Amino acid sequence: MANMKDYSNNIIPNWCPGCGHFSIQRALQVAASKLEIPNEKLAIVSGIGCSGRISGYMNSYSFHGIHGRSLPIAQGIKASNRDLTVIAAGGDGDGFAIGLSHTLHAIRRNINMTYIVLNNQIYGLTKGHTSPLSEVGFETKSTPTGSIETPIRPGIVALANGITFLGQGFSGYQEQLVDIIIKAIQHEGFSMVNVFSPCITYNKINTYQWFREHLINLDEEENKKPLNYQEAMNRLIETEGLCTGVIYQDPTSHSYLDKLQPEKKPLSHLNLKIPEEDFNNLINLY
Amino acid sequence: MNNSMSLLIGGVQGEGVISTAENLMKTLSSLGYYCFEKRNFSSRIKGGNSSIVINIGLEKKLWVEDEVSFIVALDQETIDLYHPLLEENGIIFYDSTITPDPTLLKKGLKLHALPISEIAKKNGSLIMKNTSAMGFIGVLLGISEGNLIEVITKKFKKKGQDIIEKNIKVLDHVFQHANENLNEYSNFILNSIQKNKRPLMLGNHGVSLGALMAGCRFVASYPITPASEIMETLGVLLPKYKGIMLQVEDEIAAVNMIIGAAYGGVRSMTATSGPGISLMMEGIGLAGMTETPIVIVNSQRVGPSTGMPTKHEQSDLIGLYFGGHGEYPTIILTPSTVEECFYSTIRAFNLADKYQCPVIILLDLTLSLSNQTIDQLDYSKIEIDRGKIFGASEIQQGYKRFQFTEDHVSTRAIPGTKGGIHHTTGLEHSEIGLPMDTPLNRKKMMEKRMEKTYILQSSNEIIIKENKPTSNNNVLVLTFGSTYGIIKGAIEKNNIPVDFGYFQMIKPLPIKQLENLFAKYDHIIVVENNYSQQLATIIRSEVGYHDKIHSVTKYDGTTFTLGEIITEIGRWV
Repeated sequence: MANMKDYSNNIIPNWCPGCGHFSIQRALQVAASKLEIPNEKLAIVSGIGCSGRISGYMNSYSFHGIHGRSLPIAQGIKASNRDLTVIAAGGDGDGFAIGLSHTLHAIRRNINMTYIVLNNQIYGLTKGHTSPLSEVGFETKSTPTGSIETPIRPGIVALANGITFLGQGFSGYQEQLVDIIIKAIQHEGFSMVNVFSPCITYNKINTYQWFREHLINLDEEENKKPLNYQEAMNRLIETEGLCTGVIYQDPTSHSYLDKLQPEKKPLSHLNLKIPEEDFNNLINLY
Repeated sequence: MNNSMSLLIGGVQGEGVISTAENLMKTLSSLGYYCFEKRNFSSRIKGGNSSIVINIGLEKKLWVEDEVSFIVALDQETIDLYHPLLEENGIIFYDSTITPDPTLLKKGLKLHALPISEIAKKNGSLIMKNTSAMGFIGVLLGISEGNLIEVITKKFKKKGQDIIEKNIKVLDHVFQHANENLNEYSNFILNSIQKNKRPLMLGNHGVSLGALMAGCRFVASYPITPASEIMETLGVLLPKYKGIMLQVEDEIAAVNMIIGAAYGGVRSMTATSGPGISLMMEGIGLAGMTETPIVIVNSQRVGPSTGMPTKHEQSDLIGLYFGGHGEYPTIILTPSTVEECFYSTIRAFNLADKYQCPVIILLDLTLSLSNQTIDQLDYSKIEIDRGKIFGASEIQQGYKRFQFTEDHVSTRAIPGTKGGIHHTTGLEHSEIGLPMDTPLNRKKMMEKRMEKTYILQSSNEIIIKENKPTSNNNVLVLTFGSTYGIIKGAIEKNNIPVDFGYFQMIKPLPIKQLENLFAKYDHIIVVENNYSQQLATIIRSEVGYHDKIHSVTKYDGTTFTLGEIITEIGRWV
């Protein structure tokens, strides 16, 4: 039985004490250990910002790319070797400002991988600027009189765009988060887990306390059952996105890579040599 | 009877001018003639004018003549735009559905109507006017109907027997009409040649086949003129060899996706043009910083911004040579012919793996989109060298992905390899790949990355053609990309007593060879299609010899004509 510690490289994260990201990192490590993913078969990709550092703390192959592009890099890795478990992680800027288009297209593409959003509704590492997920009226250095733009609701956007697995978690609900991440990794297709992860230094509104008061935990509801697409969308709209649990899963989902490459061979291990006869036949086409 | 012939076909864009020309060139290439094409088209789907100049010869040429012997006009605009290209005694053959301006005749132009559309309509359908036009050109060149039928049959195989038969019927009537009416035009007939089938390809096809044979199995790309044929071709070829081609959301996704795939151990490539390469710059820097081997094809067109998307320029060189923010190693290969597109692409993948850095294949619109009859590609020259990669059994304790080594290249371990786990980051990092910003480490890492390709500066990357015995070895003309063909044509055809050469690789700049050339020649003329003398500027800044370098530039969206080169070089002889 693997231990969560097997997935840590023992580097002390540079997050502020109390940051919600610690809990997400831990949940990811517990999920990996419960699934017994061989360390060398795990690839974590991250973007830029506080969230981007998460890949550097994992005992796995890890790639810390550029701002907003963790999803293209992660999809490239998965395409190169379908036997890897690929997890992309990024903050609200990565996924919903600079990289929003990649988020939407990764959802459409439905490659078998998991995307974890470390959502703190603020740009922490630049020392407190507004994020596309910040609430209206939210005061930051760049919105001194309060944000006047409508926030993006990641869950609603993802579902509207046809996501095949949507989970939402909270750094304060560790056990539920582990459970969601495990289900996300097991999902056949692109899974997104939007995690509310308080920034204790720069976001004085959306605190642990605030989330405990506002979040609706779908797992604690009576007569809990999987939601269909319409019900999932209704719950997200009713709660303004503030709910946790596995919001939606399409049981008929098939990974895009299977459609592209029915042989299911890792590209990284193909024999690259093409016989002379094939070559001559190819040239003959011209 | 002629050893070579130059002609122009033009018509309304989107009505099949390009496929008419392609079918004709395929026929001629299958017979043993060499063809070389230059396109003129606009950025729209239908409408406007599209024209192709074709040179056909018994010998290989990498240029088109400034003048054409005859024009086949399917629309009025072709006549209006291109009649000045006609040589003395040249003839304009036009589709009988158009009525050319009679004042043209006053200029001494000879016009002859051909029932191109009429025959097509009567015997098949109007769209078969392309077959009809091809038939008439075939007649004029002295090609037999049987040879044209062979290509038509192959081309329309998928469309069924009915379509093939209709097209053949059109050809029958074209030949019948020609026998009765065109006997006076025997002056365009080509000398016969020993049959020798050769391929006809675009530069973009050469790159695509090179990538496939080099073992590229992942391509992510976004459509753009003049690079799209590369993703289209590989979209067909890669799945046959278990590979994947993806059309992605933008060029930023494309470059980052191939970085991911290359990091994952697959030879990966993207292909784009100016606007796309601008978007990719940050990603190219990431590949440089993380020492990830990727191959990027950039086919240059007129910039900046959207510029003139269907016109020729060589103006991305400086931008790519010096790169985006910060400093990182790249290699820039500059093929000049379709054959070189093939071999350079294979080399690009080997260099990327050997030096673990981005390799850019720099094309230009003319090279990308000019069909050329090529010599057989040599299978025995295809080599795949993956460079330093650890297999699972070879990994030792204490593996360092970015270890300092004598040749500055460290061994890669790809994800999935036991014992090779490491972190990769676009932040400055230590030998084990973790973020580190100490001055000593930064200095050593910079030197590791920047100096690993230095050795290539001593490589002979300029192919020199000595124009013996007429050359007095005083003047050398240097160029890159498709411009080489025009330089070669101008100098050889007119016996201009100068030597000439072209770069196969511009970065790293072959400094040693350039030093030797500057010692040998008094004047080096650098010819290129851009405003700011980009190649000359790079040579001046890296090698010096300002007094010996003379620059010839053209930046109006068209390639040099032979006449322009003759005039420019003539100044120095």
